[in-house]
Amino acid sequence: MGFGRRLWYTGGLLGLLVLTTAGPALAHHSFAVFDHTRTVTVKGTVTKFTWTNPHAFLELDVPDDKGGVKPFTIELTSINMLSRTGWRSNMIKAGDRVRAVVSPLLSGQPGGLLLDVTLPDGRKLESPVPGVTTFKRTPETE
Amino acid sequence: MDVKTISRRAVWLACVVAASVQLHAGAQGARSANRPDLSGSYDRYRGAPGARGGAVGARGGAPRQDPYAPPPAPQAPLKPQYLKEWQARQQASREADLKGEPFAAGVVQCLPEGMPAMMNGPFPMEILESKGQVTIIQEAYNQVRRIILDQPQKPIDDVEPGWFGHSVGHWEGDTLVVDTVGIKESVRYQNMTHSKDMRIKERIHSVAPDIVWDEITIEDPATLEKPWTYTLAYKRTPGYTLLEYVCEDNREYADEHGVQKIRIGSPGK
Repeated sequence: MGFGRRLWYTGGLLGLLVLTTAGPALAHHSFAVFDHTRTVTVKGTVTKFTWTNPHAFLELDVPDDKGGVKPFTIELTSINMLSRTGWRSNMIKAGDRVRAVVSPLLSGQPGGLLLDVTLPDGRKLESPVPGVTTFKRTPETE
Repeated sequence: MDVKTISRRAVWLACVVAASVQLHAGAQGARSANRPDLSGSYDRYRGAPGARGGAVGARGGAPRQDPYAPPPAPQAPLKPQYLKEWQARQQASREADLKGEPFAAGVVQCLPEGMPAMMNGPFPMEILESKGQVTIIQEAYNQVRRIILDQPQKPIDDVEPGWFGHSVGHWEGDTLVVDTVGIKESVRYQNMTHSKDMRIKERIHSVAPDIVWDEITIEDPATLEKPWTYTLAYKRTPGYTLLEYVCEDNREYADEHGVQKIRIGSPGK
């Protein structure tokens, strides 16, 4: 059974429940710090995947145009919500090259809220963000 | 022993038995023999899709009613001065959100929600019935409240103000009747002011084999025009075991203006 189907069977229904019943006001904090009008696509190498509450974090090194890398911090939801939708702490490891779609921080800091991430083997994981439909996805620009 | 003595003894025995049964019933509360055990894990229940809070028209179809969905909560009957303050706070909060600079609520500092907010979720909840106590656990922030059965409530001034207060309860048939006092004034529900004398009354009961309602009445004569009653519903989640929740790596904080901010970059990298 492929990952996608397994994820659906083990957690998809619960995930749907979480998404439809937990409004943003019930989350650990307000999601108003993230830009609801656009997404950015970030490609980089994972330096750390922190499986902690109140939120999990994914740290990336993203290549810049000068041949170096810049850090980018991606916030996820609580690990309880992630667990209930099929995520596990060992799904992402340091060194993985990933592609993440995030709603960027309005402050301009290099960070954002994870909407989905594609792993090196092509698996795409959706993030169980409360009120996810309020975040507008915009096409990748490169 | 003559007949008179026997009948006198029989009457005396009957009185002792009756008194003992009454005492027993009093100690246990008036609980019905077939009362369902509330123990188990639950999620908030807002009604079947297309029908919530009573009669709501399903999309494109005839109106449908879910009798197990809780009725919509009425607006809290705050006294005029508190209502005005609350409306101003809510408006300021909405404006701050629109600017992308939301006010940092207590949960930003990983503080629990406390009572009565913890009964709103947001995560799964567990009810545990044990001898002399009913325990309610909310997965988020590992929140726990203990309802002591068949004990008198303490005077409010004898309870140190806390997050979950002092709760006593008893059974009235199938309904667990709970009384809670001693909630800190800083522990707010939906950002509303309350006094130290707030009292929370609850009637917790099954309305279907897998649905439980909690009818909550807030009494606070200092801030409310009259008691405020609203109902929350929960649905059993058989087989679900609550997860732990420890605020281990909180990167959110309130800045000097009380605005929510996030630390960027891994502290341990």
